[in-house]
Amino acid sequence: MIEFDVTTTADGIGVVVPRGRLNMVAARQLRETLTGLVEGGSTRIVVDLAETTFLDSSALGALVAGLKTARQSGGDLRIARPTESVMTVFRLTNLDTVLRPRDDVESAFDA
Amino acid sequence: MGEQLTPPTDGESVERRRQRAVEALGLSVPHQQRRDERFDRITRLGSTLYGAAWSSITVLDGGLAWFPSARGFEIPLMSREDTFCSRTTSVGRTIVVPDASQDPLFADLPAVVDDGIRFYAGVPLTDLLGNVVGVFCIYDHAPRTLSDDELQTLEDLAAWAQHELVSSSEMLRAGRVQAAMLPASPIDVDGWHVDGICLPALTVGGDLFDFALTDGVIHLGLGDVMGKGTGAALIGAGVRAAVRSTHPAVVSGADLGATTSRVARTLQDDLDRGESFVTLFQCAIDVRDGSMRFVDAGAGLCVIVRADGAVERLVSEDRPIGILPDDSWTERRTHLAPGDRMLVFSDGLLDLLEDQSRWWYDIARLVAEHEEPAKLLLALRDFATARVSFDDVTAVVVHRSREDER
Repeated sequence: MIEFDVTTTADGIGVVVPRGRLNMVAARQLRETLTGLVEGGSTRIVVDLAETTFLDSSALGALVAGLKTARQSGGDLRIARPTESVMTVFRLTNLDTVLRPRDDVESAFDA
Repeated sequence: MGEQLTPPTDGESVERRRQRAVEALGLSVPHQQRRDERFDRITRLGSTLYGAAWSSITVLDGGLAWFPSARGFEIPLMSREDTFCSRTTSVGRTIVVPDASQDPLFADLPAVVDDGIRFYAGVPLTDLLGNVVGVFCIYDHAPRTLSDDELQTLEDLAAWAQHELVSSSEMLRAGRVQAAMLPASPIDVDGWHVDGICLPALTVGGDLFDFALTDGVIHLGLGDVMGKGTGAALIGAGVRAAVRSTHPAVVSGADLGATTSRVARTLQDDLDRGESFVTLFQCAIDVRDGSMRFVDAGAGLCVIVRADGAVERLVSEDRPIGILPDDSWTERRTHLAPGDRMLVFSDGLLDLLEDQSRWWYDIARLVAEHEEPAKLLLALRDFATARVSFDDVTAVVVHRSREDER
C-alpha cells in the first residue's frame, strides 16, 4: 500500500509525496488527493516523486487529470525530483513536455 | 410460512425468461465439464463452515441440472426434478429443509432415498434482472436447522457465488467479444508478414491493435488506453473504430498527422469525461518499395532490427491523445528493407523488463533471436506469462523477408 504525505506550504502550495509504487490502486488515491487539494483552495500543487519507485499509465492519468483540474481553477500542477526509472515513463510518452520535472519542491513554482 | 404459488401461465413465462438468462450467460450444460477453482473455493468453504457432507452450485438448464461446482458427490448431470434446487429455483428464495424425509415435497428425491440426505439449505443466485440462474446450497446426512447468523452467512456465501457466476460470465463474454475485434488473421503477402498478440491483464483490457492491407498499403495501429479493465476496454473500442474510419484516407496517402488529429477530435469528449488518455502508434507501409510513414502519439515503443542486426528506435515528440485539446501530431518517415523486422508493443511488456531505461536492448535481442514472427509472438507470450504481467501486454510484429527467401 502506498502512503501519501500531503502538506501545504506557507505560500499555499499543496505538496504531495507518494512513497512506493504508483499503480492503478494508488493512482485512484492520488487522483482523489489532488482533487481534494484543488477543492480545498490549493490550486498550485507540487507532486514530489523522489520516493516514487514505479509509476504506471494510470498514475500518469491521475497526474494529467490533476493538472487539468488545477489549471481549470487557475492554478497548476508540477512534478519534482522524479527518479530515473520514473522519468523513463514521462519521456516515452513525451509527457515531460507538459509535466516538466523540477529540481526541487521549493523552487517548483519559481519563474 | 406458506409459499406463494404463482399462476401457471405466469410461471411458464418466468421459466422461459429464466432459461433465456441461463443461455445468455453461457451457463448451459457444458460439453465437457471442468473444475473451476472460482466456484470450488465457495463450495469448499460452504461444506467446511457448516460441517455439511455436500455443497454445490447448481444450474438448471431445461430439464437438466448440472453443477459448476460440487463437493461431496460426483454426479455430472441430474434430472431437474430429482433435485432440491429445482424447488429453490422455482420459488426464487432461500429454502431450508430441516429433515427431508419428513417433508412430502422432498422425501422421494434420490438424494434422500439413496444417499440418505436429510438436511438441505439453498439460496437462489440471480442475474441483474432477477432471473434465478443458479442455486448455492449445502446438504447433510443428519437433520438440522440454521440459526439466523448461520443463515446470514449462507446468504453471504451465495452472494459471492452469484458474483462469480453472473459477473464473471458477463466478463468472459465481453473478453471474447473484445478478442473477436482483433484482426482475424495475419497479413502474409509479397514477403511481408504482420501479426500480433493482445493479452489483457484482466478479462478485458485497454490495449488494442488493428491492421489491414488495402491497395498495397499496410495500415497498422497499436493503442493503449490508460488504465485497464472494463472502462479502458470501452474507450479502446472507440479508439479502434476511430482509427478504422481513417483507414481509406491513410491508404490513399493522407497525412498521418492529420488523420491522428481526426481520431483525437472524435475521442476528445469521451477521454475528457472518462479522465483518460490513449497512446497510439500508427504506420502505413507501402509493400512495393518498403517506404513507411508513421505517427506516434506518446507510445514511444517501437523498435526496428535491421537486416544487418542494427537496432533503431522510432522516436517522436508527440503527446498521447487526450492530454491537451489543441495538440497536433507529425507524420515521420522511415524505410523497411528486405530482412528488416519491426516490433511495436504496449508498456505492459516494458513493465516486465529488468532494466526499463535500456528497454530496446532487451526487446531487440528477443526480435533478433526469433526468425519467424509467430515464434517471436509466442516467446513474448511466454515471457508475459512467466513474469506475471499486471498490465495488458500487446505486440505487433512486421517482418519483411530477405529477397532470397521469397
